[in-house]
Amino acid sequence: MLIPHPLLGLRDAQEFTYLGDASLLNRPDTGTDADPEAFFAYTHLRDNPAGVHRELWFHEQGDRSWLVVTRNTLTHEILGAELASDVKRGLA
Amino acid sequence: MTDLTPLCALGAPEPRRTARGALSLTENPDLALASLALRAGGAQPAPFGLTLPGPGAFNASGEVLALWTGPGQWMLAAERSPDADFAAELRAQAPGCSITEQTGGWCCVEIASATGAAPLDRLLEKLVNLPPAALCPGRAARTGLHHLSVFVIRRSTDRLAVLGMSSAAGSLWHALDAAALRLESFA
Repeated sequence: MLIPHPLLGLRDAQEFTYLGDASLLNRPDTGTDADPEAFFAYTHLRDNPAGVHRELWFHEQGDRSWLVVTRNTLTHEILGAELASDVKRGLA
Repeated sequence: MTDLTPLCALGAPEPRRTARGALSLTENPDLALASLALRAGGAQPAPFGLTLPGPGAFNASGEVLALWTGPGQWMLAAERSPDADFAAELRAQAPGCSITEQTGGWCCVEIASATGAAPLDRLLEKLVNLPPAALCPGRAARTGLHHLSVFVIRRSTDRLAVLGMSSAAGSLWHALDAAALRLESFA
């Protein structure tokens, strides 16, 4: 499986480690008025879609960047990859 | 005062070297390393007059080499005695950046070919899972090699440097030497 790294081009998936659903980027506020239900959902509840899924991958044996990879969980087709830092800043 | 004998990463007072057909492998202990990372919103410096390179590339000028390691991060390598304080030298050249001493953490193996690019290209085919264009002269990459994370620097058509963890120097040498030996045996 090859992942199209936005900076380095196609790289072997073995260079990466997998974290999980890209919604982990959207951590709820943990301040004093935090909603415990929202934090419970963030910590424990995940969708498990059969089909297109956005997920976080770490380029460990590479440039150590976090990517948001769009993958079809039924076919393992990789549909795209963006830098997670760009996604978080709303650039991608 | 106790008289201590400094050892190279591969455990001997002298750097290890071997020749396998057209390829020669040499441990390079005279390489001082320091990493440079930009702070949030910081401007990109030009230490030692070097333009810091973009993804997958390196720039060398005189005895200093800068290697792209990640977004906003570079490794700088200089031909220095390992006890030189290269990090302090770099800190003076790149004010406002985060500088970390790296010399002791790495083992550098220089591979030279006596017959041009072909033996090195064939060695890289065996060792790293990257397209040849990613490691043509002037390019550098961090990648996996025998489950080790390494930097591979293609210094020129017939010169290659591999930087691996000094704690795994023996495994790195074994992987490189075995691949070179097999190239020689099955040439």
